[in-house]
Amino acid sequence: MNLGTLITGSLNDTLAVSLPLFRPELCLATTIVLLLLCRIVPLLRRLDSGIVALGGVCFALWFAWIDFRDLPGSLWLSSSAVQTISSRQEIFTGLLVFDSLTAYLRLLLAGFLVLYILFTKVSGIPDHEDGADFYTLVLGAAIGMCLMVSANHLLMLFMAVEMASVPSYALAGLLKGRKTSSEAAIKYAVYGAGSAGVMLYGISLLAGVLGTCHFPSMAAELARIAGAGGDGSMVLVLGGLMVAVGLAFKLSAVPFHFWCPDVFEGAAAEVGAFLSVASKAAAVALLLRVAFSLGVPPEGDGSMQVAQAQVLVALADTRHFMVYLIGLMAAVTCTLGNLAAYGQTNMKRLLAYSTIAHAGYLMMAVAAAVAMVGVAPAGARAAISAVVFYLGTYVFMNLGAFAIVALLRNKLRSEEISSYAGLVHSSPGIVVATAVVLVSLIGLPPLAGFVAKFLVFASLVEAIAVSAERPLMLVLLVVGGINTVVSLFYYLRVLKVMTFDPPPLDRVGESFSLVSLPGAVVTALVVPVVVLGLFWSSLYACAQLAGAFAF
Amino acid sequence: MAGLPLLQNSLLVGALLFVLGLVGMLTRRNLIVLFLSAELMLQGISISLVAWSRFHGDWGGQVFVIFVLTVAACEAAVALVFVLQAFARTGRLDAAAWQSLRESNLPRVVDHELPAIDDLPADWPKLSPAGVQPVTDENSALQRDHV
Repeated sequence: MNLGTLITGSLNDTLAVSLPLFRPELCLATTIVLLLLCRIVPLLRRLDSGIVALGGVCFALWFAWIDFRDLPGSLWLSSSAVQTISSRQEIFTGLLVFDSLTAYLRLLLAGFLVLYILFTKVSGIPDHEDGADFYTLVLGAAIGMCLMVSANHLLMLFMAVEMASVPSYALAGLLKGRKTSSEAAIKYAVYGAGSAGVMLYGISLLAGVLGTCHFPSMAAELARIAGAGGDGSMVLVLGGLMVAVGLAFKLSAVPFHFWCPDVFEGAAAEVGAFLSVASKAAAVALLLRVAFSLGVPPEGDGSMQVAQAQVLVALADTRHFMVYLIGLMAAVTCTLGNLAAYGQTNMKRLLAYSTIAHAGYLMMAVAAAVAMVGVAPAGARAAISAVVFYLGTYVFMNLGAFAIVALLRNKLRSEEISSYAGLVHSSPGIVVATAVVLVSLIGLPPLAGFVAKFLVFASLVEAIAVSAERPLMLVLLVVGGINTVVSLFYYLRVLKVMTFDPPPLDRVGESFSLVSLPGAVVTALVVPVVVLGLFWSSLYACAQLAGAFAF
Repeated sequence: MAGLPLLQNSLLVGALLFVLGLVGMLTRRNLIVLFLSAELMLQGISISLVAWSRFHGDWGGQVFVIFVLTVAACEAAVALVFVLQAFARTGRLDAAAWQSLRESNLPRVVDHELPAIDDLPADWPKLSPAGVQPVTDENSALQRDHV
């Protein structure tokens, strides 16, 4: 092959196949350039950066929706439309992959960004001066998260994690005037740099022993090594553990969670909302992506069925390792998150531990999904659907919780739980909204959190019935159940303080009415929590479509 | 397998640098040294990536190194901003000076008490705020050492 054909081939591939599937990210990138241009052109400096960011994100949402709508098997696909997208499409020479999981998560992230920008416009952080910087960082991190979701290559895994992390460090230090904000940024950056280094060493070990960085090729090579008697498997285990450190840092899984409460407490509540929802969703999707790319051979054409079945069997050890790693980490993460949340006095810190605990529940379902791949593909698909459904409801629950914290901060000038005492007398609406969000985070019916948690536990029960890792799945189910009960106490304590405790005498600020602009934001985030709890079938249909990505 | 000894030697050097960086990261308290240790880890990884790349006769590892260097530069830039900010705020580079965010019911971790800073009014060089033309002082420019 001479150079000319090589260049023509890759140009055709990029322009005709890859770029059309990359439109949401391109929209975000263009918006970043526009935001920076607005900053340097004097005439445009008056323009509100939030509006520019909102416009760009709406375009990204539209393109993400089109990609999701046109997926094969989608509910909205009109029969006349030409089928242009196959179910699994490697783009940019195999660096990224486009499938239903990518499309779902990108839609989720873009939808979250729209809500998030509207919320930050109302809450007042960032102010006009910081707006361009803030939205540039947020959108930059969001591009990194989109890449995390679609990574198909160890290089993209590393680059995407870093692209999502480095802007987040700067976001954590956004409140330049506050010492705690600087401290949060330093701690986040130190932990991030350390875990990125460890993850990269793991990547170098995996890539070196397997001789490739491309996930499906790595799976094939793993199967070959397993068939040949496991030569070099200790190095692979070490590499896998080190990569897991980096992923656990992004997930804030125990024992790599120490940054999470400090960063959430020090940074603005708005930044906490971004980290706890978008970053968490992308990290869970990346975990799914890595586990299923390395544990399952990619779907090929019909002629390869026999070879694929052999590879699936040969990868059983790899999956076994991943199930135990993810499952044990999930159990510890969930338990520690819930126990540590118990004694918190700061609302943001409590929500940080709640975030850690929810990462544990999500990882339980991921472990169940990986455990069922070899024996019950339908069960595995349902477990992945449970994970992505959880993420869909989590957007509203947690963004709602952080929105309440931020908007109450604007009224009360405090984020301590004790300062919320007796709010029910002056502003009952916000107390009801908080109750809905927190009860949904506990997972009680009839709210969205209940459906999500029910699906997670249902997939664990299914895994107990069929998978080879039955004891671990049983432990996970018991731990998850006990944790749900424990979490009742600290969430309900906040509500108890809000309703039964007498209001402090030195209360500043007036009452918080739901009939106001901040109230409208809270309502817009809380109503979906109730609606998704009652009518969850359409979101679950989307989740099922995303859950079919690996098969 | 002619390249095996070369691979082993390079991997050994890479692993040593990585472990040195990791140990530095876990033990040092100076913020600048902390981030230098992180860079040392990345350089160790780069060496092992290049070694694997040469062993497999594949350019992928070397391309990876270019990306690693870029990311390391970005990370160092962001981290140095935080270090400068921290220094401007407290006048020290000790990580132990940053303990105000912690569990409210746990005591502060003290292995060595922070040395007192002398109260001399230190006049550290400052960056002017972004977007503002810096004020130049002709006198100080003349007196500055010619390096």
